[in-house]
Amino acid sequence: MRNRVIQQIDWLSILLYFALVFIGWLNIYSTTMTDENPTIFNFDQPYGRQLIFIGLSVLLIIFVLAIETKFYARFSSVIYLISLASLLGLFVFGKNINGATSWYNFGSFGLQPSEFAKAATALALAKFLSDIQTNINDFKDQLRAFLIIILPPLFIIPQPDPGSALVYTSFFFVLYREGLPSYYLLVGLTAVILFVSTLLFGAIWVIAGLLILATIFVLYRKRKKIRIPVFKMLVMTTTAILFCLSVRYVFENVFEQRHRDRFNLWLRLEHDPSKLNEIRKTIGYNTYQSESAIGSGGLTGKGFLEGTRTKGNFVPEQHTDYIFSTVGEEWGFLGSAGVIILFSLLILRILFLAERQRSQFSRIYGYSVASILLFHFAINIGMVIGLLPTIGIPLPFFSYGGSGLWGFTILLFIFIRLDANRRDDWM
Amino acid sequence: MPTTEKHILNRLYVIAGLIFVFAVAVVVKLVSIQTVDGDKYRELASERTVKNFTIEPNRGNLYSDDGSLLATSVAKYDIRFDALAPNSENFEKHIKPLSDSMSVMFGKSSSYYQNLFRKARATKNRYMLLSRNLGYTDYIRVKSFPLFNLGPYKGGIIVEQETKREYPLGKIAKRSIGYDRLSNPVGLEGAFNQYLEGKEGHRLKQKIAKGQWKPITDYNEVEPQDGYDVVSTIDVNIQDIAHHALLAQLEKYKADHGCVVVMDVESGEVKAISNLGRTENGKYYEKLNYAVGESHEPGSTFKLMSVIAALEDKVVDTNYVVDTEKGILTFYNRYKVRDSKWGGYGKISLSEAFERSSNTGIVKVIDKFYGDDPKRFVNRLYNMRLNEPLGLAIKGEGEPFIPHPNDKERWSGIALPWMAYGYGVQMTPLQILTFYNAIANNGVMVKPRLIKEVKEWNRTVMKFDKEVINSSICSQETIDKVKALLKNVVEKDHGTGHKLYSPNFSMAGKTGTAQKNYAAKDRQKLQYISSFAGFFPADSPKYSCIVVIHEPDKSVGIYGADVSGPVFKRVAQKIYTDSPVIDTVKDLEKPNPSVEEKYRAYYSKVQNHSNIIPDVEGMSGMDAVSILENLGVKVKVVGNGKVRKQSVKSGSKINKGQTIVLQLS
Repeated sequence: MRNRVIQQIDWLSILLYFALVFIGWLNIYSTTMTDENPTIFNFDQPYGRQLIFIGLSVLLIIFVLAIETKFYARFSSVIYLISLASLLGLFVFGKNINGATSWYNFGSFGLQPSEFAKAATALALAKFLSDIQTNINDFKDQLRAFLIIILPPLFIIPQPDPGSALVYTSFFFVLYREGLPSYYLLVGLTAVILFVSTLLFGAIWVIAGLLILATIFVLYRKRKKIRIPVFKMLVMTTTAILFCLSVRYVFENVFEQRHRDRFNLWLRLEHDPSKLNEIRKTIGYNTYQSESAIGSGGLTGKGFLEGTRTKGNFVPEQHTDYIFSTVGEEWGFLGSAGVIILFSLLILRILFLAERQRSQFSRIYGYSVASILLFHFAINIGMVIGLLPTIGIPLPFFSYGGSGLWGFTILLFIFIRLDANRRDDWM
Repeated sequence: MPTTEKHILNRLYVIAGLIFVFAVAVVVKLVSIQTVDGDKYRELASERTVKNFTIEPNRGNLYSDDGSLLATSVAKYDIRFDALAPNSENFEKHIKPLSDSMSVMFGKSSSYYQNLFRKARATKNRYMLLSRNLGYTDYIRVKSFPLFNLGPYKGGIIVEQETKREYPLGKIAKRSIGYDRLSNPVGLEGAFNQYLEGKEGHRLKQKIAKGQWKPITDYNEVEPQDGYDVVSTIDVNIQDIAHHALLAQLEKYKADHGCVVVMDVESGEVKAISNLGRTENGKYYEKLNYAVGESHEPGSTFKLMSVIAALEDKVVDTNYVVDTEKGILTFYNRYKVRDSKWGGYGKISLSEAFERSSNTGIVKVIDKFYGDDPKRFVNRLYNMRLNEPLGLAIKGEGEPFIPHPNDKERWSGIALPWMAYGYGVQMTPLQILTFYNAIANNGVMVKPRLIKEVKEWNRTVMKFDKEVINSSICSQETIDKVKALLKNVVEKDHGTGHKLYSPNFSMAGKTGTAQKNYAAKDRQKLQYISSFAGFFPADSPKYSCIVVIHEPDKSVGIYGADVSGPVFKRVAQKIYTDSPVIDTVKDLEKPNPSVEEKYRAYYSKVQNHSNIIPDVEGMSGMDAVSILENLGVKVKVVGNGKVRKQSVKSGSKINKGQTIVLQLS
């Protein structure tokens, strides 16, 4: 058994994993290293602690790989429930750090259950969807799947940690791959596009655009002599228009000021340059600083440990969520591109492995892993370079933090374990 | 909807498409901020994070020729108070003793300071000024006051150190010493700036918080280099006189600018140099170093060079008679040389032509004897090195210019006659003075020196010794002749400088009244440069001096003897009166019998007459008053001189509060 695992294990994924973890640690070291404490084994400093976390991950990996494949499928519900319980328990035993009650405190370090809940949810969803009796086109089963996905974020949002909660939307890609009707994705995408464009251009223009599109669509169908589902068209267009009209209200009344500020900054809704500057220095401070850091890196970067903005501690939370700005400053465009390529390779590798699974459970789980990693990766880098509004989620394997690293490690290695067993799976 | 292979593949493409769009967006954004906007961010990053801080060097000291300090840099301290820094316990405990200490030191009442501190604390003043410009000892004293001795964080004392330039001599020669302005120091500070200023150091610092910068390394990237000390050749007293004499003349003649330089004949040391220019509001300031930097047409002072050339070539002698031709000489039917006296001087000797500063006389002689061979004349001038700069140790020396006949572009038919009386050539005042000084120094041309020594602490960096440019510019015979001419300019009744004559001291020199802007059509633009160059005493010269005043008000006067001469005279006079006449005090050890006698009389009276009125008749009034008042008598004095009569007879007893009237004659 052991030998077979080692023979069949996907060494490429593991190599990519360790490459990312190592590069991530180098950047944490550069970010948090001070001249007074240059030794890497200083466990009071983040880089020293991260070294411990990495060491413990190796133990975790061995542990995860040692467990039988069947265990994960069979106990997925139990794992999921324990995970939910741990999230609920935060409301009682949680420790408040930086205004969020997301941690269990064990002496000098804390555990963040939401980081582990992703893997648990992925397992539960894979188990549910791979069940022969589950039909994704059945509305009831769709609801059940949604319930599995939505429960953890329901407990995570009030912590509050909206960023981590948002990650669960990535499971919709999995559902989509497994046959969820296209209109869910379509509706979701349309809603996002309408929301953003209404904020950008105002409801009237968007509605005008919608009406023009609808007319073109009708005329096109008529010329091709295709029967038009008038009622459906009407309902869709009306809903879209109502949605547009409600955007302003939701934005002004449901959203809080900090959310509005983020949108204002992201979409440059504020045209007064002095006010925009003000927002930049307050709400957008992080993004502004990280953009400055990355921008100052240029093509080849300033070199390892040479980033002046990194060394000057200009970017708040640089060793956690904003670690990519260190890459940008010290390694430049080439370094950033290299990291992005490594990530892409890992995600593509996982997708490739997922597609070759014989077991539905393994495949769905693989897709979940790829989706979660992709989502984290895209949102985090998008945020750091100012492409997306500020959403606080870590960069997998890179950002400082034990829970995050272990969460992703478990997530990834469960799949590697499943993959290593693919020939024996006839489930 | 069936989940066929093809269907699933399509879905994968959709997802892949979305990812691809996002990936493109990421790359575009990365390229945009790292390469397109990169320069902006890089600039921002370097400006915001690492800054090159300048470390000002300490400016060197400036000394006069006798080693007294003219200018120095001193650390000064401003004391401020952060009223919120001390906690209330410390504040309450120490406020009374602190106020007492402040009161003792600065004079105002203790309650005044107590109020001041309480008010500052109430209004949350964190930067209250207590005292400015404290010296080091005072600063140390304030630092030891109660509360303040707890230091800046607990005691709230804020100390700001600043280096200030101090001028220990105060007002004496203040303006000539100049002042060290940031951009362009003037006066001697300006002239010696290259040595005094030192070099800035640099230190890279990194921003760690708002307003807080931390040095990146333990050492300075570039160490500041303190300025050197300069021991100048300037004699403060002569400098002060020269400065004020020049200022007075400039103001009187409302001139544009002027300069005066006094030089020690034998050593070439510049004892005084003053340059004043008029500002818009009519006041005069040290603006530019005209004496060193401004080349101009010298005019008549250049006649000395012409005459020396002619005498040295033995083409003519001083008794040669020249016809001044009714005061006008015409060249090429167009170019006229005029004398200042309408109608000219008739037939006069060359010496008289020089003493009267006859343009026609000098020009005619030179043109007659050198007209065929101007090269000979110019070579003679070149031989005396009049065409070369002096190579001063300070910056900005102006270039002299004397055209050579070989230089076709600059030489013309009238170059020679024009040159003869100082036109078409250019020299700086200091260069002219150097030449006059060489005459005074019997032909030895020494380089003018403004700096004796440049020092760094006690180490000599540069030493400027006497430097002979030309050990003999002409024969002793010629020297003697022209010395007599220069002396006559002042002494002879017909000399242009006769107004300056004083029977008390002798001086020799040459006036010059050069036209400026003579080429301009507009006669209003015609201006004059009045100068006087010479030396004193006439027979054994000790100092040489030049005064040049540009653009005096034409309605007040233009002639060298009127405008510049008085400055020269004032300097000469002052140096005479200040210099001790060595003959008068023959032997200090030997007592003067008459003084001794007087003193003995005074002393015995003081000793003997403790309670009776002494006989003070015949004593000097001053001594008498002193004796009587020491005995407790009130004294009234009528007249002055010696005591002729005293109202109370000698030998009578003294009553307390008694008044005695002394008649003096």
